[in-house]
Amino acid sequence: MLRNRTTKFLLLGVLVAAGTLIAETKKEFHFNVGPRAGVSVTNPYGSISVKPSQNNTVVVNAVLHSDKVEIDQNQTGNRVDIQSHLLAGADPESGRVDFEVLVPADASVTLHCSTGTLHAEKLRGDVTLEGAGAAVDVRDVSDAHVHVKTMNGAVNLDNIQNGHVEVDSVSGDVTMTSVTGPLVQVVSTSGRINYIGDFGNSGEYRLTSHSGDIDAIVPEWTSADVSARSVKGEVHDDIPLQPKSHSWFPMDKGRAFAGTVGRVAVSSTVVLRTFSGKIHLRKRADKQ
Amino acid sequence: MNCVELQHSLAEVEDASTAEQRAHLRTCPSCAALVKELNLIASAAGDLREADEPSPRVWNNIEATLREEGLIRPAPRHIPSSFGARWGTFGWLVPAAAMLLLSFGIYLHQQSTKPTNIIARQAPTYAPNVATADLNDEELLQEIADNSPAMKTQFEENLRQVNESIRDTQGWVRESPNDAEARHSLMDAYQQKSMLFEMAMDHTLP
Repeated sequence: MLRNRTTKFLLLGVLVAAGTLIAETKKEFHFNVGPRAGVSVTNPYGSISVKPSQNNTVVVNAVLHSDKVEIDQNQTGNRVDIQSHLLAGADPESGRVDFEVLVPADASVTLHCSTGTLHAEKLRGDVTLEGAGAAVDVRDVSDAHVHVKTMNGAVNLDNIQNGHVEVDSVSGDVTMTSVTGPLVQVVSTSGRINYIGDFGNSGEYRLTSHSGDIDAIVPEWTSADVSARSVKGEVHDDIPLQPKSHSWFPMDKGRAFAGTVGRVAVSSTVVLRTFSGKIHLRKRADKQ
Repeated sequence: MNCVELQHSLAEVEDASTAEQRAHLRTCPSCAALVKELNLIASAAGDLREADEPSPRVWNNIEATLREEGLIRPAPRHIPSSFGARWGTFGWLVPAAAMLLLSFGIYLHQQSTKPTNIIARQAPTYAPNVATADLNDEELLQEIADNSPAMKTQFEENLRQVNESIRDTQGWVRESPNDAEARHSLMDAYQQKSMLFEMAMDHTLP
């Protein structure tokens, strides 16, 4: 009796899996582009992953989860536009498309989605990622603008060198590891901001969250001119700072600190600000 | 011809008079609405050329709007049908977001035109009021509930947090009018709200 029931369940599982596979459709598109091409992918529901291609081609692999969505694709000169086109009756499940896109490393990439994951790696062109509930993951990008906008999706930036980085997130946590550049700016309402790195050289770093905590973990040899302030929360500083003679905000004890660490000549400007969150500047435990 | 191709073809033949364009428009109400809107804009643009200056009523409206603390009170406003056709039932979101951005722009402009040391000493001449924190929120959430119910709870919670941050920072500005950081934070809070409205529009575009 038990074996009979188990068999039925297994059979049902196989049928469901087979049905899913049948409903899924794979599509592949190829485009030849020149240097510094522009690639845009808009996908309401589903993930988009972008990696570098080996040559001057854009390769788009799309997995469509039902026939209630189709792909519009267009190339105009050096620009490629890909868009999931929802048909009548499509919902987040049936309208889902998962993209894997290969682009020349120097291409500028713009990705939009509402839910799912946005991922980009090993690129040298500008990267713009926007999505309300999308989780964002960008890594190994250099000499580029990286602009991210999310509502509540978590944002993870890893190894962004010489970047012009701007992140806006309402409630998603933002984690940056080895992110440096002339401008690194994060604005959040309630998300937590974690920065792990050395604040580069001569850049401007502004990390702001209204109620989220801000944690910066830096090596002792960091050179930075640091200002930190929490209006209602606490600030903690594990790294000895050379105090500044003049500050542009009230230095309430326990709620603000400002000073210089390392060599002033090559230091970056770091501003950490929160209204009710906590700020913690920590020393990274490493051998450097 | 699909929607993207149609839109690109409009750059060449803007009146959508080719056989291919007409065939697509017959089967795609969305593109048909877009073309209708473009035609309306084109004809309206012709009228605009005749006037060197906007009507005084425009300036009066802006002045009155800015004078009132609620830059965008949720008074029902008529959206021209062609405009609404492009954005569907979300047409009202566009002016809402635009007015939000306008308020940021004014605020930003006031800051950028003053030297930093003066900013630190002067009280702000303009600080958006609490009332704007309630800007069309209910309508926004209702539209999302109707069209993207799965996202409604998320938008609701995030909107609540942003409104709370606006209220907090407004209080901060009132307590410390000489604090440039307070004003900067208020601007950030409004920008976050603007971003939410933008995302609501993006989300509903499909």
